[in-house]
Amino acid sequence: MQFLLQVVVSGLAAGLVYGLVAVGHSLVFRLTGTVYLALGDVIGLGIFTTLLVAAGTGPVTQTSVATGRFLLALAVGVLVCVAAGAGGYLFAVQPFLQRGSTLGWVGGTLALAFAIHAAIESFFPRSGYVFPDPIPFRRIGEAGFVAAGDASFQVRTIYVGGVALVLAALSAWAINRTRSGRGLQAIASEREGALVVGVPVERLVALAFGLAGGVGALAAITAAPSAPVSADTGTLLGVKGLAAALLVRFGPAWLALAAGAAYGLLEAAIANVSLGDLELGPEYSAAIPLALVLLLLAIRPPREAFEDLE
Amino acid sequence: MSALPAFTRTGAAVREAGRDARLAWGPGAWLALAAFALAALAPFVLPSSVRLDGLAQTAYLALAAVGLGFAVGIGGMPSVAQGAFVGVGAVAAGHLIGSGVPPLLAALVGALTAGCGGVLVGAAVVRFRPVFVVAATWLATWLFAFTLEALPSLTGGARGLTVAPGKIARLEPTATLHYELALGLVAVALLAYRALAGSSFGVRLRAAGQRPAAAVALGVEAPRLRLAAFAGAAAVGGLAGGLAVQLDGVVDPEAYDAFLSFTLLVAVLIGGAATALGPVVGVLAVAALSLAADVLARLTGAESARFGPMLAALLVLSVLATGSEGIVPAVARRIRRAGRQERDHGMELRRPDAATLTAGGLHKRFGELVAVRDVALDLRSSSVTALIGPNGSGKTTVLRLLAGTLPPDEGSVEFDGRPLTAASAGDRVELGLVRTLQSNAVFPALTALENALVGASLRRRYGGALRALLATPKARAEARETTARAQAALAAVGLQERADIVAQELTGSEQRLLMIASALATRPRILLLDEPSAGASGAELQRLAAILERLSAEGLAVLAVEHNLRLVRTVADEIVVLHAGTMLASGTPEQVAGDPAVRAAYLGRQSL
Repeated sequence: MQFLLQVVVSGLAAGLVYGLVAVGHSLVFRLTGTVYLALGDVIGLGIFTTLLVAAGTGPVTQTSVATGRFLLALAVGVLVCVAAGAGGYLFAVQPFLQRGSTLGWVGGTLALAFAIHAAIESFFPRSGYVFPDPIPFRRIGEAGFVAAGDASFQVRTIYVGGVALVLAALSAWAINRTRSGRGLQAIASEREGALVVGVPVERLVALAFGLAGGVGALAAITAAPSAPVSADTGTLLGVKGLAAALLVRFGPAWLALAAGAAYGLLEAAIANVSLGDLELGPEYSAAIPLALVLLLLAIRPPREAFEDLE
Repeated sequence: MSALPAFTRTGAAVREAGRDARLAWGPGAWLALAAFALAALAPFVLPSSVRLDGLAQTAYLALAAVGLGFAVGIGGMPSVAQGAFVGVGAVAAGHLIGSGVPPLLAALVGALTAGCGGVLVGAAVVRFRPVFVVAATWLATWLFAFTLEALPSLTGGARGLTVAPGKIARLEPTATLHYELALGLVAVALLAYRALAGSSFGVRLRAAGQRPAAAVALGVEAPRLRLAAFAGAAAVGGLAGGLAVQLDGVVDPEAYDAFLSFTLLVAVLIGGAATALGPVVGVLAVAALSLAADVLARLTGAESARFGPMLAALLVLSVLATGSEGIVPAVARRIRRAGRQERDHGMELRRPDAATLTAGGLHKRFGELVAVRDVALDLRSSSVTALIGPNGSGKTTVLRLLAGTLPPDEGSVEFDGRPLTAASAGDRVELGLVRTLQSNAVFPALTALENALVGASLRRRYGGALRALLATPKARAEARETTARAQAALAAVGLQERADIVAQELTGSEQRLLMIASALATRPRILLLDEPSAGASGAELQRLAAILERLSAEGLAVLAVEHNLRLVRTVADEIVVLHAGTMLASGTPEQVAGDPAVRAAYLGRQSL
């Protein structure tokens, strides 16, 4: 039972980060009808820009970065990420949407994704980098682990989950309560109508692309010290976030967040839990949830997936 | 049974094919042959510093790209999973060769395995809108990568699965042999692409990609056609993978990751998806890029793998930013010449048998709104019925109920006395009940003739992909008949001189006539027209009236939703007036014009 708690906590923490990426995917889909294939790598760009400003490209330990410099690095990283997200929309999506060219935005966003990936790898070629941790969780309990009964879990994971929830709440607030947020809702429900009543559509959509990247990057950076990061970290976040978003048909933010959490839980369960003789292990934790999502999409496709035949 | 007639027939078919080939032979064909010969000679004339295995790999990549180009450009499915299918073929072939299967057979089984994978993925995505095709195939690509990671036995673990090169058709498996084999396969794939793209299979696929609703209205079964295209493309990718892995000598799981799918899509994009040669040119451009990346890497001392993706990204964005659809279409536009086919308009369009369509008690509600209430219609051969009424009175809804794209809540529709309740829209088109859509629903990137071919290809018995590919005598004879019928349909609306014009370059009224021609090409017995005169000028109205009268005289039953009362008065034998979903009046123009209720409710200021 205690072991289960441990799995749940770590799965939720990872899953909530996927969930925030899924929120970004859903937002972008509902605004533009596109899939932002570069979202994961844009988030990766945020992670590694932060690392670059905080500690350069050399080896780091978790403690070697001062809090002040880390905060500066975080600000730069998130800003770069927002700029890349918005720029991605303006250069790789919007021109093709206007022409109605699906191939165009697919090619454009994929090109952006692989260019960012390659740029990260050229600065950070090794397969794993330690990410500095500005908050000294390792001093709590035994090297950052606390025991609850027989179970022990990393205190960090609770912090990561908490930050993700706060970010989600902030995003929901921004979408429902601010003027820009209401503008975005107007665009999602009726783009032409929003244009007519004077909503600055292009600017707001670019902002939404930027925020999708920025919010995802904040969550990913919060989680980054828990495990070594590489150029693939962001890419995989993008893929898993897309899977979660597809699971809830690019639905509203809380649903997307919940889907991400469920996805993370499933991954943790596959990696750790054994049911009788059936013991899967971490090597299956990536493939099986994705296979399930695709299976579900094939068996019970959402209505909006189908072509409009009238 | 003597084999002689079969031989004679085959001989005749071969002679005919030769004649067709001579007719189609032109400077372009000479150019293609010369380019192919030059490419085939390359290994023997190039300096030894050129790496032949690299050339062979590029050629295999081109093979996979041509397959993808068909799925994307003709099938209209923006797949981001072709790299995974290449990988499936490679893994399958690698294992088979390990257990002693001959190399070519192993590659073929690899292709078959990838084709089965294509059927699995395709079954899910063929009904999807493009954006969902992108999302699903992208995730499928990653699923393949994750699966290879999860099951290291598939790729031989950390050391990789070594594939011992075996003799191919008793020849040493050198890089040169692989290159020539790949080049030959690319040539075959290109010819197949062209044959299929021009066949009724390809025309219907392209139509469904451009205007799904209009294609359904003409009886196109898009999902079935797309599944064939998607699985075929996957199989071609698998074949390329199954052969390339023998050249590599090892199954490297990282070679088939998302980046390969991206590279193939890039090749298709920058070369041009809708042309056979586009993907090949695209692969050459990508290969040139990787050479450039090597040079850059040597200059800067960094790893060349870092520059490739960045240069590819730049190239994609710059080609896309110019607004062109790729290199090959851009070049082709400059050198396009007018078609020089002979036209044959002597085809009989009408089906000789008369038909009746009887609808009674039709009801349709949308939530609280009653769109159609107790509507009854009776359509007969050789008559034009006009359905008139103010906006929102339910005219188009009635058409949809008759055509089967909307199920009625109550009421029946009978065709020649047989109930149509269970018949889908496609079934009804096949029975001879076809409708046109309200807006300009032509297929914009198809020529006028190809637009008509979409309709004319209905009921083809030998029109499948395989027969078109093999150009069997039956398929060829039928293709000629189909083309003749499409030409006759164009002639019936006076568009025969515009046959080779791309539909989007026609005028608005010509596009509406073209819609009628596509519908006529299905050889309907009952034709439902939704506002055929929208926006037409005086002269165009006369032309339309003449067309409708001739169709009626030839025995067709026509039902037209129409706003233009002058046209209605000229052509209609019977008028049905709808008001707020109910039938206000019906009868001859004189009867309807004299009906006081009609005068009061609708025609107040205007008299028939």
